[in-house]
Amino acid sequence: MEINKVNTHIIPVEFEYHAPTNLKDALELLSKHGAEARLLAGGTDLLVKMKQRLIEPKHIINVKKIDELKGIVEEDGLRMGAATKLRTIERSEVVKERFPLLGEAVRVIGSVQVRNMATVGGNLCNASPAADAAVALVALDAEARIIGPEGVRVVPMEAFFKGPGQTVLRPDELLTGISVPYLPEGTGTSFIKIGRTSLDIATINIGAVLVMEGGVVKDCRIALGAVAPTPIRVGKAEAFLRGKKLTDEVIGAAAEMVAGGIRPITDIRATAEYRREASKALTRDALTIAGKRSRRR
Amino acid sequence: MYASDISLPHMLHARVLKSPHPRARVRSIDVSGAEAMGAVAVTFEETPNVRFCPRLVSTPEATYKDWLVLTGEPLYVGEPIAAVAAETEEEAQRALEAIEVEFDVGEASFDALDSMKPGKPLLHRTVLLKDDEIEVENNVGCELEIEEGNIEAGFAGSDVVVEREYRTNRRYHDQLETKSVVVNPQPNGGITLWNTTQTIHNTRLLLHQIFGIPMGKINVKKAALGGSFGSSIQTNVVVPIAVALALKAGRPVRLSYTREEDLYDHVSYQMIFRLKTGATRDGKLKAGRLEAFLDIGAHQIQAYPLLGCVVGWWVSLYKLPNMKYVGKAVYTNKVPSCAFRGYGNPQITWAVESTMDELAEALDIDPIEFRLRNYVGMGDIFWGQGPKVKSVIRSCGVEEILRKGAKLIGWGDRPRPGEQKGRYRRGIGMGRGFHTSSAGAAVPSTVVDYSGAMLKVNEDGTLDYVTAMMDCGGGTMDAHAKIIAEEIGVPLENVNVVIADTQTTVYDVNTHASRGVYAGGGAAHKVAKKVKEKILDYAAKLLDAYPHTLKIRPDEGLGQGVVYAEGVEGREITIGEITSTARYKNWGTIAAVESLRQGSCPPHFTGYFVEVEVDTETGVAKLGRVVAGADIGTVINPILAAGQIHGGFAMGWSMTTLEDTAYDPVTGCLMNRGFVTDYKLPTSRDMPPLDDFTVFFADTYEPTGPFGAKGVGEGALNPVAGAVANAIYDALGIRFFELPITPSKILKALGEKEDG
Amino acid sequence: MEIEFTLNGRRRRVDVRPNELLLNLLRDDLHLTGAKYGCGIGECGACTVLLDGAPILSCLTLAAEVDGREVITIEGIAKGWNLDAVQEAFIEEGAVQCGFCTPGFILTTEALLRENPDPSEEEIREYLKGNFCRCTGYVNIIKAVKTAASRLRQARNQTSKEQTP
Repeated sequence: MEINKVNTHIIPVEFEYHAPTNLKDALELLSKHGAEARLLAGGTDLLVKMKQRLIEPKHIINVKKIDELKGIVEEDGLRMGAATKLRTIERSEVVKERFPLLGEAVRVIGSVQVRNMATVGGNLCNASPAADAAVALVALDAEARIIGPEGVRVVPMEAFFKGPGQTVLRPDELLTGISVPYLPEGTGTSFIKIGRTSLDIATINIGAVLVMEGGVVKDCRIALGAVAPTPIRVGKAEAFLRGKKLTDEVIGAAAEMVAGGIRPITDIRATAEYRREASKALTRDALTIAGKRSRRR
Repeated sequence: MYASDISLPHMLHARVLKSPHPRARVRSIDVSGAEAMGAVAVTFEETPNVRFCPRLVSTPEATYKDWLVLTGEPLYVGEPIAAVAAETEEEAQRALEAIEVEFDVGEASFDALDSMKPGKPLLHRTVLLKDDEIEVENNVGCELEIEEGNIEAGFAGSDVVVEREYRTNRRYHDQLETKSVVVNPQPNGGITLWNTTQTIHNTRLLLHQIFGIPMGKINVKKAALGGSFGSSIQTNVVVPIAVALALKAGRPVRLSYTREEDLYDHVSYQMIFRLKTGATRDGKLKAGRLEAFLDIGAHQIQAYPLLGCVVGWWVSLYKLPNMKYVGKAVYTNKVPSCAFRGYGNPQITWAVESTMDELAEALDIDPIEFRLRNYVGMGDIFWGQGPKVKSVIRSCGVEEILRKGAKLIGWGDRPRPGEQKGRYRRGIGMGRGFHTSSAGAAVPSTVVDYSGAMLKVNEDGTLDYVTAMMDCGGGTMDAHAKIIAEEIGVPLENVNVVIADTQTTVYDVNTHASRGVYAGGGAAHKVAKKVKEKILDYAAKLLDAYPHTLKIRPDEGLGQGVVYAEGVEGREITIGEITSTARYKNWGTIAAVESLRQGSCPPHFTGYFVEVEVDTETGVAKLGRVVAGADIGTVINPILAAGQIHGGFAMGWSMTTLEDTAYDPVTGCLMNRGFVTDYKLPTSRDMPPLDDFTVFFADTYEPTGPFGAKGVGEGALNPVAGAVANAIYDALGIRFFELPITPSKILKALGEKEDG
Repeated sequence: MEIEFTLNGRRRRVDVRPNELLLNLLRDDLHLTGAKYGCGIGECGACTVLLDGAPILSCLTLAAEVDGREVITIEGIAKGWNLDAVQEAFIEEGAVQCGFCTPGFILTTEALLRENPDPSEEEIREYLKGNFCRCTGYVNIIKAVKTAASRLRQARNQTSKEQTP
């Protein structure tokens, strides 16, 4: 009788609310309550799922009062606390200057209202295969910093996601931050998203990083979302591009490889065939733009 | 104050138990769990076993009744079976979940054509019409056939024939305020209520029919309405449910649907058209055959009248010397359909405007010329609400709209369809249409259409205007006040629009059919004339003049209407002085109550010219420039009239490219599960820049309308889908016969074209 | 649990349940019905209020979260009978049809113009895309925001002129 359990007027489940002010307390709560607890960051995913009765946690742990989880600093690259608001990232000068791919991706997530509430960590831990920030961070070779009772561990962004809604986080662990390495000189990046309207979850999205040297692709990373159970990179296309000049033919061939390397499904937003076909144009556009931008640096 | 904002002391919050099955019979229901929590519960076993039609715009011989307040035999996922009320919404939710129900699940059908197949289980074995049980065959709730002339001869004599099957989408109104009601039971056995409605009087009438409460004891109060677009022409299901709860509890009850419940509450009519049209070399239409299947969902709201309206819109677009129409309204186990802005006109206009472009191309005649040779216009007969409501057209700006619009968009420079080869392909398309202004006619028909108004003058010269008409955002009340002020001759601020209710107003059928200004304003005009007469009578006595020679002018400085004898110095008096003097002399209040039945329903006309750009590698269609022309007679409020055009266009763009509610063929649930996450509508970012949207009004005057005015609300939407679809054809050389036209469909069609 | 916050300039202390939403606290307990329920899942913006000056969705915010913070609703915008520039502009430009989305739009606009006093049309459309309207097609709303922006800039220039001796 699911239709009679959903009620978006209210939160139709009861829970205990906790708002720890430091990591140690947060971890203790997680250890104690484990699978019955959920972390509350922005609330834009968690609360919706609760209203839809998809999850019914007995404990909610608000992490927004924990200072160690907030803020953007530069330290061998970019370091963002997991509870940093998307709007903060969007407006950050260092992101605009040195990590425009991340800025481009964050800017198209939801609305201003959503970005004033949602956090980068929340977006990642929600683990939607279409998540825009996830796709950008995978393309940027970011790392997830995780803390648990056994200590700290670092997981490459691509390995952080296991499936729709699933990450490698254990019930007693917490994502504390994300670090993004600087991009070398001569890098161009781009992010493109297709949605049904300008305010939508991605039907398909792409993040591309091209490191050029001497007119030839030295390194590249191409990540796509909404075409597999998690955001993915297409290694075959990346390997193909390395060492080549960025001609239309080369870009076209890479696009075909991307189309062949993704595993899209048909859902309410689009057909699998559509995603496969559109991925070609998206790849071509992304590589072309990234290529142009690399020349500007 | 909106109905969903109303809060009363001691108020209970209600929740509805909805069927999780598309077809079932309740084997047992046990509300003891809910009652043990302290909630009040009602089930189908105790609500009145009175079948009704929630929409009372038609006369009894055209009103098919197959609804119950609550049912034990649900026919669609979401149909109400029981309801609870408790101190808070949270408690009501828990009480709801404590109700135990056992179902025997039955077979359901989700497609109109499938539903009609012999052997398919019937949703209703009979439907009540007046006091007769009408047998239902093949799930056809009602049908209509009309023939004029000889179509065999007509097609035989045609040089070109286009025959197509068109399938529209099942759009959801997504009016921003969900269906809500607050009911306050009275000690005398009566009820006072606020609800999301387009007609307080029909709400009262229906509740009287269902519950038997005398109408004088039912008071439906006007509230602001957060959008409707036709979804509250009928009394919404939440209303009688809340009444049942309030009467049982003896306390006020609020029932406000969540958005997901609202998506399961009402939806537009999905239509399948088999349209065959023939024309001769000289560009004249010769014959037309329309087979229309209306997917009406699980219950009838206004299916029979709609069958008549669809044929009426069809034959009122272009002249068809020979025509045949077969319309069937078919039951399916889905959310019941109701009128949605245009009431079938957006659907049929999309089909016709697509066909007209095809014919024009086949005949090698410019699409605009072709339309000008055939459109129903000045002096022609127009079917305002089906075959029984007809008028002669006395004002028409179609030619002006088409010629001026063509110039503004650069019609002559548009690409030739299908010739572009690049990635981004631009196209310009046009569509024209109309809608009725009310359902007025010279003789009574099966459609009730009249308005009532009351106007009285206060002792200080200001006026109180009392009407049952609702304003759901179209600026109707603003227009009425202007009409009154203009007619009498008082400053606009002196006309006070009273927030009224059924006890203090005379009957008004509904705010729909774009009749707010034409009919409602017509009643305001009529009553203003009467009041003016009486003002002049009193003035004549005080001024020692003849009433028929006196005039009234608004004086902003004095803040009053001033009655004066033209040409005679000093022979003048303010209305305030008249009425305060009248009070001392015990002459009585100056007031008038009038009803108005408009004798015609003049069409208002619109035309859209739309530019799109399609990315042939992603299938994404982007909006370019839009030029919109409208003939609405005298434009009483230019800013709000333009607002209707802007809104109608956005809705039409969305209709063509985005909207649909699809069903899971196994569970009968909505694929989007009721969440607007997957019912996308355009945001401010998706609409063209201001400079790219031009609106103009044709210079016309409607002799039967108040100060020459007609309606605009629905004409603003009707031709948009046709214009957009034609623009996409111009860009790609590909036609689509199913809405919405999505990137997936565009890319697929482009692929097939390339292969083929 | 008890929370204390500033609401439209006044300090308030209320008792809230952990699962209570800010939207319902405002509408049901505090009788401020300007913020609306439109969808409950953050898609329509009708529930927008300002939290520490930033537009957020009250339907997805726990009441507990506003403890120690500042909330402004539409009821806090006008000063007595004096509507502010944004409200006036919305009325004049015909940006209000059914009115249900209007409080959300006005609050988002207030935040926009504070952040960006001279926004381009594109910037306006982008900033407002989280507020949904089914009636207007947004044209008159965009016009209203432009008008309000221009008037506020004029007023600011006026004030600074007056302040310069």
